[in-house]
Amino acid sequence: MSAATIQLASRTLAPPPSPEKRPTLLFVDDEERILRTLKLMFASQYRVLVTTSGHEALQMLRRETVHVLISDQRMPIMAGVDLLRQAKDIAPNTMRLLLTGYSDIEAIIDSINDGEVFRYINKPWEANEVRKIVGEAAEIAMSLESRPPLPGMAMAVGETRTILLIDHSPEIATSLGNLLKEDFPGEFRLVYASRLEEAISLLEKYEISVIVSELHVGNEDVTPFLKTLKHFHPQIVTIVLTSFQDTLALTNLINQGQIHRFIPKPVRRGMTSRSIRSGIERHNEIRMRPLLVNRHRVEAPIAEIQHGLFNRVRGMIQRLGATGQK
Amino acid sequence: MANLATLSITIEPLSLHDRVADINEMFLDERFERLLSLPVVDQGLPVGIISRNRMQRIFSSRFGREIQGKKPIQAFMNPAPLMISIDQSMETASHYVTRNISYPITEDFILVKDNRYHSVGSVIDLLRGMEGRLLAQNQSLASTLNALRESQAQLVQSEKMASLGQMVAGVAHEINTPLGYVRSNIEISRDACGDLHKLANAYDALIALLQCGTAGEDEIGTQFSFVQQTREDMLSKFPREEMDGLFVDTLYGLDQISEIVVNLKNFSRLDLAAEDQVDINQCINSALLIANNVVKHKAEVVREFGDLPKIRCAPSQINQVVLNLVTNAAHAIESNGRIHVRTRAAGAHVHMVITDNGKGIAAEHLKKIFDPFFTTKPIGEGTGLGLSIVFKIIKDHGGHIRVKSVPGAGTAFCVSLPIHPQQQSGSLQ
Repeated sequence: MSAATIQLASRTLAPPPSPEKRPTLLFVDDEERILRTLKLMFASQYRVLVTTSGHEALQMLRRETVHVLISDQRMPIMAGVDLLRQAKDIAPNTMRLLLTGYSDIEAIIDSINDGEVFRYINKPWEANEVRKIVGEAAEIAMSLESRPPLPGMAMAVGETRTILLIDHSPEIATSLGNLLKEDFPGEFRLVYASRLEEAISLLEKYEISVIVSELHVGNEDVTPFLKTLKHFHPQIVTIVLTSFQDTLALTNLINQGQIHRFIPKPVRRGMTSRSIRSGIERHNEIRMRPLLVNRHRVEAPIAEIQHGLFNRVRGMIQRLGATGQK
Repeated sequence: MANLATLSITIEPLSLHDRVADINEMFLDERFERLLSLPVVDQGLPVGIISRNRMQRIFSSRFGREIQGKKPIQAFMNPAPLMISIDQSMETASHYVTRNISYPITEDFILVKDNRYHSVGSVIDLLRGMEGRLLAQNQSLASTLNALRESQAQLVQSEKMASLGQMVAGVAHEINTPLGYVRSNIEISRDACGDLHKLANAYDALIALLQCGTAGEDEIGTQFSFVQQTREDMLSKFPREEMDGLFVDTLYGLDQISEIVVNLKNFSRLDLAAEDQVDINQCINSALLIANNVVKHKAEVVREFGDLPKIRCAPSQINQVVLNLVTNAAHAIESNGRIHVRTRAAGAHVHMVITDNGKGIAAEHLKKIFDPFFTTKPIGEGTGLGLSIVFKIIKDHGGHIRVKSVPGAGTAFCVSLPIHPQQQSGSLQ
């Protein structure tokens, strides 16, 4: 054996993180074998809890601090989305992820609206990808836990929040305008863009809190724009209002767009009103405690975006002074 | 629509005063050869018709020509001839003629335009025309029928594709789960293998130090504890017991995948005879495995199988029947339900009863469930062909299917198949 292949003691191994400081992961899946595999994958770096029961998972969340909850969607008794919904109330600081082979459109919509899921990972998964995503979620949860809230920008008295609507149909603008007038009198200013160019101009002109957007306007795909915007300017909360439904597009909107709500058309008034309310609240929370934006960090922006548009969004964001991750 | 103009024969009509003998001469003229009768017109209005037959009767009576020959035709003609407007359709004319003509047929009919005399038409021509039209209609009906048959076949095909799609999605999901952990387990094993190599290398280095004879005790000691440390790290990262479990799981997962593949092959029977001596219990097991994805989150499946003789049938079709009934049962169940599958042999039949405790079928729907295209599912979610195909398959096998349902309590389907079928079952293509 040559000397080069012989491993000598001079290379010291990095010590494993001390047990108290290790983040806690909780995996929920009705297939025990999957849990065993995941446990083996993560046990050396994390404190790993596993259970096949959603109810037991909720008990664990009540009992102890869990940094990341990773659940299957399709399980008997309690579906993943139901678990995430309850987890959100019990342990709001826990990062919520779905790891599932089941992609029912309803379930994905619910995972956005009710589960406010950080990532949607498809089975069969790739070990390194899951390690990376779970690692990122754990790091975000730990960073929020260890640091006291930074003083953010409180809302000035009399300050009006601005909502930007991107939709090709002026009727939607009218009905959204009426809804805002009736449900939130005097609270918000609504600005409307029927094209992407107009939307960017409005973003330059106003400080936008919430974007309510279709996924297509004219023949333009708004998705890359929403993803890029989220990447550079995560404090702007995105609500998607569309008739377009596709499981892959939706999971990408979660992972790369971190959209706050997904409202299928035809628009239901109550749902729209509630979504806007919670979108504004989310935006205010982030303004108060800027570190919270990390909870909505997105995967690296995609190459698909047109160059000019990309640069413009970027330029605009620089002018505004991005608060997001680099 | 063709009108009567095509049948029109233009001739100069007779007048009321024309004499019988002269008219008799006219019937011999070859211009009127094809006609049974000649029209009589007065001031442009048709007033009667005189037939060849009537003339012959006059002339065949004793001294007929002598007595009657000089009389005007008015006394002998039929004053109420059949008259049809020239712009009527052939169908209307034919309908009118067949209802009003007297038998034996001795007269033609008069064609009028705005109530005035136009021409005459022959009954035979009318019938020929009608025959041609009927023929054309028959042809168009036949091609419509063909088109309908084709679209029915297409619908049956699309129903098959829909259930196939459902099945494929189910199977994909069934394979996905073991695939997920098998893949990860292999990745973990690869990492563990990497650590094993590291340990072996550290161990080799230790041996080399021991063998070279020049190494100091410190050096050997450091390397020795490095070997120890590497070993402990590896064992803590990949504990023995858990690694053993990992391999058990991996093999189990691969067995699961093989089982699904074997069942899928059984299910489609692509490599087996279309008809065979078949164990219905096995068919049910295959179909249940395929339906597992749809069923498992909704209901517990209870199997209560009796000893069944093998019966001659088309197993892929019976699989389709079971799959359809079981997925229907699952669709009727909201959650936490139960699907009971019982089989038994009694008399000349094998019986299979599939019972669910789902929402049941309303009485007014129950009569229609085997009708093609009947569905209570929203548009686009069901073709309404599933149960009609089930019905046809069972009928083709010489069996029968019965249903009982209580809304709110559940539904039971009972399929009975003959142990010794009378004839070769037809196949639903």
